[in-house]
Amino acid sequence: MDLKGSIPDLWKAIYNTGDLHHCFNCSTCISGCPASFGDPPLLVRNLARKVILGLEEELLNDDTPWACVSCSKCEEMCPMDVKPFEMILSIRQWQSANDETRVPPSIVEIYKRGYTQAVGVNTELRDSLGLPELMTITKNPEQLQMFREMLMKTPVVSANDYMFGG
Amino acid sequence: MELCLFLGCNTPAIRPDVERAIRASMPVLGIDLVDADNYVCCPAFGAFPSTDTDSWLATSGWNLSIAEQKGCDIVVQCGSCYSSLRMGREHIMHHPDKKDRVNELLEPTGRRVEGTSKVRHVSEVLYKEIGPETIAGQIKKSLKGMNGVVQYPCHTLFPSEVVGFEDSARAPKGMRQLVEALGANVNSYSRELQCCGGAGGFMKSTPEQAIEFAKSKFDAILAETQTDFIAVSCITCLMHMENVQNTLNKRVGEERYKIPVFDYNQLLALCLGFEAKQVASITNVSRDSVLSRIA
Ligand code: SF4
Ligand code: SF4
Ligand code: SF4
Ligand code: SF4
Repeated sequence: MDLKGSIPDLWKAIYNTGDLHHCFNCSTCISGCPASFGDPPLLVRNLARKVILGLEEELLNDDTPWACVSCSKCEEMCPMDVKPFEMILSIRQWQSANDETRVPPSIVEIYKRGYTQAVGVNTELRDSLGLPELMTITKNPEQLQMFREMLMKTPVVSANDYMFGG
Repeated sequence: MELCLFLGCNTPAIRPDVERAIRASMPVLGIDLVDADNYVCCPAFGAFPSTDTDSWLATSGWNLSIAEQKGCDIVVQCGSCYSSLRMGREHIMHHPDKKDRVNELLEPTGRRVEGTSKVRHVSEVLYKEIGPETIAGQIKKSLKGMNGVVQYPCHTLFPSEVVGFEDSARAPKGMRQLVEALGANVNSYSRELQCCGGAGGFMKSTPEQAIEFAKSKFDAILAETQTDFIAVSCITCLMHMENVQNTLNKRVGEERYKIPVFDYNQLLALCLGFEAKQVASITNVSRDSVLSRIA
């Protein structure tokens, strides 16, 4: 492994918790991980190593954290309480903050209409099932506006405001 | 008991028959549901929890505040929504600085989060609050003579410290006992606790491998059980376990994978006498083999 250009303090920017340093490479997090069957595989242990060693380039270019299914099995099984799933989220956050192409399009959907899906527009189907009309935020411009203004004060949304239609 | 129903996105948009099943069955068992007006996406783990803590927890706080205003706990069916809301609440409750920040962000919207409302999964309410005995005593029809397998939503098991309600996340019993309460015989199999693999980015980023992963589960079900159906309690498990069977059939060139999948509340509503066309009508894998035997 090439450790030239490694940044010893990088872990503080990515996953600032002492628990990370308790990782002893046991691979328990990998053995229960669905996404470890991917190609390339999500190897949580290796990501923990890269964060500890401060391999910035490698981490910025690593797509595997996004393959996580969020099952949290690693979180349950890790004997050292590294909280690997939270680490995965933290790596994604750090990538999103440093590379706008990483910003998930779903946050634009949620910003625009409150949901990842078109909730509450399937009225005919809902009627036929005997379901009530849903009081969605999409139908309540005042609430939606407040929700958007709230999000506009948060780091990744405000840094990329052009994505949100101003 | 009154609970605030958090529907998430997929259930009301894509599988509203599951929503109908929940709205139909819970009141019969003494749970009154109130709607979470103006709720937003939980937020999904792939959205704000993957960008920054502020937007993540502000969105959780937005949703939690709705139930707090109504003075009741939240009930959720979607596994991801459940886990996201639980984790969000956990961060807010255990980190005063985060709670302050969330309330600062919420303030202009007229909302506040205190943590008074808990987040509960519908299977936990059924298992712990209502109980299998009560369910068995209330049903008008049953699944007698049928075999089932259960899919535990991993989001209700792990991390047990934050989301759990089972005595042991390694040996959960809730789903099994709930399905048994409807009269079915529940079969065990080796990959029972294996995740369906349908959530998050696994299917999106490496679909080939995700499908193979699901195949290993279905092959174990076919080889080791006599099951007539799969009972789940998560919208993602439901949709993925149906879709993947169709994909697998195309691959193997025969109709090998055709096990009907039901959300638990659908089976419950059917046994309570509600009509299949209302509570279990939307599916990609025919349910007729089961529906015709519920009596
Ligand atoms: S299970 Fe925990 S201690 Fe073991 S390698 Fe993974 S993160 Fe490190
Ligand atoms: S939470 Fe993500 S990293 Fe952890 S086991 Fe599940 S898929 Fe793997
Ligand atoms: S987890 Fe999925 S279904 Fe639940 S609210 Fe979020 S996007 Fe919607
Ligand atoms: S089995 Fe899959 S979809 Fe279901 S709760 Fe687990 S991760 Fe979510």
